[in-house]
Amino acid sequence: MVTEASTERFMGWPKRKDLIATLAIVALFVSISGASAQEVRSGWAMVDSGTESDLLTAEFHEGEFWAFGTGGIMISSIDGGGTWSESGISVNQDLTSSDSNFGSMAVSGNDGTILFMRDGVWTDVSTSLFGDITDIALTGNSSFVVIQQDEIWTCEISEDGSADWNSASSQGEIDYFSISFLDSDNGLVSGEKGAIMASTDGGASWEYRDAPSEVSATGIIDIEYHSSIRAYAISDEGHILKSSREGNVPVGFVWSIVEIEREYPPGGGSEFEVGGSTLDSDVSNIDVIGQFKLLLSGSSGYLAISLDGGNIVSQQMIPLSNETSFNGFAMQDGFRGIAIGENGSILRTENAGSEEFVGFEVIDFNDFGQFVDYSKERLMDGLVATAKIVIFGIIMGFSLGIILSMLKTSPTTLKNVAQTNRFQILLVFIVTPIWVLMQIPISVVKATGLAKRWNLDNPLNGVMGYCKERSLQIAASEPLNVIAIRVIGVALLAFGIHRIFSNLDDISALNLDGWEHIYSPIGAPSAVFWILFGVGMAVLGTIFLSCNGDFSIRELSLGRSNISLNPWGIRPLNTIATVYTDIFRNTPLLVQFMFIHFGFELGRRLQDPGMMLFDFDYLEGNSNFITDIFVVYETNPESLAYGRPIGGILEDRAYISAIFALGLNSGAYQCETIRGAIAAIPSGQMEAGRSIGLNYMQSMRLVVMPQAVRICIPPLGNEMVNLVLNSSLAMIIGYAEITRQGKLIVATTFQVFWTWGMVLISYFLITWTLALFLRYLEEKTRIPGLGISGGA
Amino acid sequence: MTEIILSVEDMEKTYVGGVHAVRGVSFEVKEGDSLAIIGSSGSGKSTVLRCINRLIEPTKGVVRLKGEKINTPAADINEVRSRIGMVFQSFELFSHLRVIDNVSLGLIHVRGMGREEARSEARKVLERVDMLDRVDAYPGNLSGGQKQRVAIARALAMKPEVMLFDEPTSALDPELIGSVLETIQGLAEEGMTMVVVTHEIGFARDVADRVIYMDQGLIAEDGPSSIIDEPKTERMREFLSSIND
Repeated sequence: MVTEASTERFMGWPKRKDLIATLAIVALFVSISGASAQEVRSGWAMVDSGTESDLLTAEFHEGEFWAFGTGGIMISSIDGGGTWSESGISVNQDLTSSDSNFGSMAVSGNDGTILFMRDGVWTDVSTSLFGDITDIALTGNSSFVVIQQDEIWTCEISEDGSADWNSASSQGEIDYFSISFLDSDNGLVSGEKGAIMASTDGGASWEYRDAPSEVSATGIIDIEYHSSIRAYAISDEGHILKSSREGNVPVGFVWSIVEIEREYPPGGGSEFEVGGSTLDSDVSNIDVIGQFKLLLSGSSGYLAISLDGGNIVSQQMIPLSNETSFNGFAMQDGFRGIAIGENGSILRTENAGSEEFVGFEVIDFNDFGQFVDYSKERLMDGLVATAKIVIFGIIMGFSLGIILSMLKTSPTTLKNVAQTNRFQILLVFIVTPIWVLMQIPISVVKATGLAKRWNLDNPLNGVMGYCKERSLQIAASEPLNVIAIRVIGVALLAFGIHRIFSNLDDISALNLDGWEHIYSPIGAPSAVFWILFGVGMAVLGTIFLSCNGDFSIRELSLGRSNISLNPWGIRPLNTIATVYTDIFRNTPLLVQFMFIHFGFELGRRLQDPGMMLFDFDYLEGNSNFITDIFVVYETNPESLAYGRPIGGILEDRAYISAIFALGLNSGAYQCETIRGAIAAIPSGQMEAGRSIGLNYMQSMRLVVMPQAVRICIPPLGNEMVNLVLNSSLAMIIGYAEITRQGKLIVATTFQVFWTWGMVLISYFLITWTLALFLRYLEEKTRIPGLGISGGA
Repeated sequence: MTEIILSVEDMEKTYVGGVHAVRGVSFEVKEGDSLAIIGSSGSGKSTVLRCINRLIEPTKGVVRLKGEKINTPAADINEVRSRIGMVFQSFELFSHLRVIDNVSLGLIHVRGMGREEARSEARKVLERVDMLDRVDAYPGNLSGGQKQRVAIARALAMKPEVMLFDEPTSALDPELIGSVLETIQGLAEEGMTMVVVTHEIGFARDVADRVIYMDQGLIAEDGPSSIIDEPKTERMREFLSSIND
């Protein structure tokens, strides 16, 4: 009993762990395709600085990079920022700011620490005049200006190393944050309350400049005097301020706030935020490396570049934790340089941090790695395209197969047709279809469990019962109306003969000789159809005409041989299905593809009315997931493809044709498979079902089909694997599935062996996965104790 | 006077291909009677049985169930079949369904019962055939005798007016026959009307109220079970002696 219990839910949904495994596989596929869509590489590379101290300021000086930080850390690199080592002189105070100009370099820090380097010689010119120095700027190879709190001092270093300090005349009681000198005379200083001051005499005297009123309450935390025509500054609220030379008015007099139009997130995506007048991130440092080229840094891993003076700011990807706070840059030129930050972080770039889009460089197709990098995207596209036609093909083929196999095994004979009566006709052709239409929504409601409360039933149940009853009564009370059947027979015969003769002219108009007539179905399709239809009707009419109430088998004696005829045993539904399967199973699929797409133009014939049904004007704003299956339109008015279909079944004619060619063909084969499985169920099963009172359809649905479907899982699996493999033929009609993508890759790369090998592997992965799934399904639906498991 | 449940009048059946399997058979079964049909293979026993519930359409003749003619297009064949229980030689259990679902399938889809109601009904019937302990097993995991008892329960669940047994023990090992025969015997003692096609002469003698011996599509002998011990015709004597060997 334990084993019984463990197989309890063999038909139900797979157990939870199976579900998880399935989801994991799906997630894997999704993540693979997502990664292949876009490759962006950070423009910054991490460098080992050899220290864990926070780095606060950096300079490029005489071909060397220098970085300074807390605890007096001082490191330098002589190879463009690749390797770093400690150097300079030893101090213990934090080094917070620096400047390099005129062949000299100055570093300042807490407790009045000032270090000065000229010609490679460091001098400690620290003074007890100050507390913590805020910023320092060189005004000559031995002179500089420092700011601390609300004071500005100039200093001259004499030959013997002694410092000559002078307090500059300043005009306010505000704290200064940043100082920058363009040359030995012109400098700018910024501070709290939106203060910007300028000096034209090397820092001795300072005058206020007009900052925009929007920043009058905020501190301007960094200012950079870039050139004689440009200076930039940033406020602690994220404003970017710009000053240009206007006519004769030099830089620094007029300041404006840069309008930030767009802020792009890292990764170069197409989505952006409208910036307004301030940056969204916390920015503490600006570095100007061109008239319009700015680098920005701040806390939370913020590194950004703007190439147009701050209108469009693109945050950059960093190869570090997003928590890292960046404190500044040192740039060798407009492209090469470093960014420094806390915990000894140094990032190095050779393109000003711009992100690299992989794939734009010239690819070496003789390198397998680069070849795969190039071709995998195409193969993935092909894989998706293949999956799309395969999925729809399988759905279509399986539905068609079930319907055809039911038709093929249906026991309805001409005898049953002749024995029908008016109520049965009413029942089959009018009442039942309407009943089914109403039953579908009712079944849905019933499945939700609401039906019990409402006592919901199909309103046509009564009509149906009445028709059934009347039809039984008539069958009992009225004898077979032989005359009516014969009248119908005559009518059918006359109609058939008329059809035949009225279409013969079209055939003769083709001017065919002898055996050429086998091609007449293509020369005059409708004429041939009507003639065949007429022949069928005439035969049917003759049989009906011969009706005398006896439906038994006729014995004909032709000379010595006896022929037994059983015209009433003809099964019309079976005949229709047989004609269909014979046509599709006796012609090659490749030719079917070409005939359906190029000859019959099925794609165009379905696309045009489909587009009319789901036209753009109607769907705009009304699309949902169901219409998306059929067609998706480009709705972005700025796109070139605005108003054109960009997705859905109707987008591509070859796609439509491919689905139909695969589905119609596979349906014919699946029909035979399912029919075989139905035939393999012992006839006693149907008898047993009927003997307890189930009707034919119930016995089929409840008894035969559940067993037949289990039997035909292995052969149907073969059929579905075949369908996947046959989908490669869709390349002939220009559908971009894997094989066609392979051909395109070969055309670009000339790597025949690699390409086709990769295509093979792709197919193998799909079909093998499918086969594994079917094996699993087979195992899951196995009937315990029964040999018809197929595999086990 | 007991009511006639089932009557067959002048039944004939010619198969496609011209085999004349039944050549005019008539008999009646009264309520509570058990009728045994014996005869050699090909004598038309099974054909008669299948014609009764129209798994095969008789070529000629009338079948009446409680006086109502059932082999006409006017009779609702599915309704009629649900009133006639049938047990097959090869069990024909629905192998994809558990024992309990095998028995309740007809109750749900023909009688229109709810699932729970049908199941409790099915349990009652399974208890009668002593199969209550295997309700959750699949037919493939049952022995032949158990399968046949489930098949009997499946027919019984529909509360049939008459039960037809088509060689219920022929496919079983001698050891397993006993339990099935006991079950059938129990039903007969409860007063179930039944027609049993069988090769178990001993069983026919002990259980049947009446025995029909068929030969070449005709009833050769018809009488109480005692005719087994005293066959009148040479043909039946040969048949009996060949079986007793």
